[in-house]
Amino acid sequence: MDSSTAIFLGLDGITNGAVYALVALSLVLVYTTTRVVNVAQGDFLTFGALAFASLAAGTLTPLLYVVLGIGAVCLVIDLRRARAYKRSLLAPLVRYLAAAIILCALVFAASHSHSMPLQMLAALLLVAAMGPLVYQLTVEPNPGASIVVLLTCSVGVTLILQPLGLLLWGTESLTVNPISDARVSLGPADLAVQSLLILSAAVVMTLALFVFFRHSLYGKALRAASINREGALYCGVPVGTVGRLSYFIAAGMSALGGMLLAPLVTAHYEMGFIVGIKGFVGAVTGGLVTYPLSLVGVFLVGIFESFSAFFSSAFRDAWVFALVIPILLWRNAYHGDELDEH
Amino acid sequence: MKVSKLISGAILMVGGAMAQAQGLPVFKIGVVTASTGAAATIAAPANAAIELYREQLAARKDLPFKVEFIQYDDASDPTKSVNNVRKLIQEDGAAMIVCCTTTPSSLAVAKVSEAGHVSTIAMASGAAVVEPPAEKRYMFKTPVTDRLMIGHTLDYMAKHGVKTVAFLGLEDAYGEGGWDELKALAGKKGIKIVSSERFARADTNFTPQALKTMQAKPDAVYIHAIPPSASLVHEALKRVGYKGPIYHGAGSATTAFVTIGKAAVEGAIVGVMPITVYRELAADNPLRKSIGDFVKAYDAKYGEGKAEMFAVQAYDAVGLSVDAIRRYVASGKKGDLEQTRKDLRDELEKTHEYAGAVGIFNFTPTDHVGLDERTLFLTQIKNGQFRLIKE
Repeated sequence: MDSSTAIFLGLDGITNGAVYALVALSLVLVYTTTRVVNVAQGDFLTFGALAFASLAAGTLTPLLYVVLGIGAVCLVIDLRRARAYKRSLLAPLVRYLAAAIILCALVFAASHSHSMPLQMLAALLLVAAMGPLVYQLTVEPNPGASIVVLLTCSVGVTLILQPLGLLLWGTESLTVNPISDARVSLGPADLAVQSLLILSAAVVMTLALFVFFRHSLYGKALRAASINREGALYCGVPVGTVGRLSYFIAAGMSALGGMLLAPLVTAHYEMGFIVGIKGFVGAVTGGLVTYPLSLVGVFLVGIFESFSAFFSSAFRDAWVFALVIPILLWRNAYHGDELDEH
Repeated sequence: MKVSKLISGAILMVGGAMAQAQGLPVFKIGVVTASTGAAATIAAPANAAIELYREQLAARKDLPFKVEFIQYDDASDPTKSVNNVRKLIQEDGAAMIVCCTTTPSSLAVAKVSEAGHVSTIAMASGAAVVEPPAEKRYMFKTPVTDRLMIGHTLDYMAKHGVKTVAFLGLEDAYGEGGWDELKALAGKKGIKIVSSERFARADTNFTPQALKTMQAKPDAVYIHAIPPSASLVHEALKRVGYKGPIYHGAGSATTAFVTIGKAAVEGAIVGVMPITVYRELAADNPLRKSIGDFVKAYDAKYGEGKAEMFAVQAYDAVGLSVDAIRRYVASGKKGDLEQTRKDLRDELEKTHEYAGAVGIFNFTPTDHVGLDERTLFLTQIKNGQFRLIKE
C-alpha cells in the first residue's frame, strides 16, 4: 500500500465516519438526558431516509398515518392524565391538534412541490415527531426504572420499528437525488460533495450540542434531569418535557443523517441497523456522555473500517465491533472512577 | 371463500368425470409453492404463471388427455414442503409434481420424491437441487444455475483476452455461491483470480474494496451481487479510477440495476436470461417465438411489463410436465399409478429441444438442468438499456 492509497482510505474513512456521527450524537443526547441507551436510534435514520424518498417521489408518505395514529393514542393518555391531576383538558388537546395540522400541511405541501428543502423539512419533522411519541409510550410509564429496563424497552421499540419500515415501504431500494452530485478531488481521493455535507452537519451539530449543554441554562437543566431526577423536579425542571424534547431532537438528528446518506447508498428498510450499531461503537468512545469525544470516536470507527475493509473485506464488521474492547479498556483505565458514581 | 372452493372442487370433479366419460385419461400435477412466508414475492409471479398455463391448457380441446392441478402453499418452510409433497404422493395420487420455490425446500423434498418415484420439477436456482443426478433421479429444475452463467461469462472473458479476474461479491449465500462457482471454473478456463472482496447490502461505503480490487490490477472485474449493492460497487470502481471491463452475474439483470446506477453502470456487461433480450434474438431462434408468446399472454392477463424471471421458471416447470404427459400418452403405454409415475419420469428425462419461456431444454440421465449455451446471453448497458452482445 502506498501513501496515496493510505490518504484516500483515511479521507474516505472520515467521511464515512461522519455518517455514523449524527446517530452517535443522538445516542449521547438521549442517554445524557433520559439514561436510555436507545437501540432504536438507527431506525429513525431509516425512517428519515424512506420518508424523504417517498415525499421526493411525490407520494404522501404512509408514515404520516402511523404518526397520526400513535399521536391519537398519546393524546388519550395525556387527556386521562390531565383529568387525573384535575388540569385543563384543553391544553393537551390544542397542542396535539396544532402539531397534527402542521405536520399534515407540511407533508401535503411537500408531496406536491418539487422543493427539496421543503421535502427534507417535512420528513425531518415527521420522524422527529415520532421521538416524543416513542418516549411517551415506552419511557414515561417506567419513571426511575433502571438502565437495563429502559434498554430492554428500546430493544422492543426497534423490534417494532424495523418490521414497520418493511411493512410501509417494502423491500425495494428507493433512489433519492442528492443535494449536489458534484465531486471534489482532494489529492488522490475523490469525494462526493454529499459526503462533505454529512461531515459538516456532524461537526456543526456536535458544536451546537456541546455549547448548548455546557453554557446554556436549558442545557444545564437537561443534564440535571438525568443526574438526579427527583432533585431536578424539586428545582422546577419539568422532567417529562425534557425527555420528550431530547427524543424529538435525537429522532430529528438521526433522520437528517438518513436523508443525507440516502442519495449515496439508496434508502431501504434495513439501512439503519448497522449504522446505528457503528454509531454506538463511536459513542462508547465518549462514554455515551461527551459530544466531542463521540465525534472523535465515529471518525476512529470510520477510518478503522476503511482500512479493515481494504485489508480483509470479509471481516470488516468484525474488526469494527472488536474495536469496542480496547475502547472499553481505555475508558475503564482513565475514566473508571467516573463510572462508580452511577 | 369456502363456497368458491366447494364450487371449484365440484367443477373439477365434474370435469374429471366428463373427461372419464369421454374416455380421456386424467393426470394430476401437484404444485407446491411458497405463496406465503419469506419467499412469497418470488412465488407470486410463479403462481400467476401457473394459473395462466392452467387457463391456456383448459382452452385447448385437441389434447388426448386431461390435466388436473392440485396446489398447496408451503409457507416458505421446507418441513411443510415435505409434508405437502408426501400428501400429494400418498393421498392425492399426483402423477408429477412441481415443487418448490426455494432451494432449501427443493433439497428437502428430493428424498420424498425419490422414495415415492414421482418426478419433481423445482423452480429453485441452486445446482445442488439436482446433484448428483445418479442419486436424484426424480429431481429436475428449470432455472439457469450460477454455474452455467459464470461458465459462459468466463468463456466470453477468455475469448476477449482476459487473463486475470477480480471477484467482488455479497457476503451472503448468494454471493458465496457465486464465489464457489467462480473459484471452481476460472482455472479450467485459463483465468487467474487475483483478488476476492466482500460487501453487504447494508454497507454505507464500498471505496476500500474498490481500491483493493484496482490495486490487484485485474484484466476484468466480476461482481456477483444484486442491486442496490451491485450498482453501488460498480460506481465505486469507476470512482477510484478503474478503467477495465466490469462483468455482472444474473442478479444484476433487473431494471433497478440501471435506475440506481444511472450513468455510472453504462458499459457494464451483465449475464441475463433470454426473457430480457428475446426481442433482439435472430428471427429463426425458437426462443423468440416461445418467449414472445408467453410474454404476450402473461402481460395481457396481468398487465404490461409484468412478465419476469420467476414467472417463466414456473411456467416451464408446468409446461415440461405436460409435455412429458403428452409424449407418454402418444406412446400408448398403460399401467397403474406407480408404473405411470416411473414412465412419466423416463419420458421427462427424454425431453428434447423443448423451447420454453426460460430457454431450450434437453434433459439427459446426467443433466437434469437441461439448459445449454443457447439459453445464456450477455448484455451490455447502453443508454440505460440491456443490449444483447452479438457474438
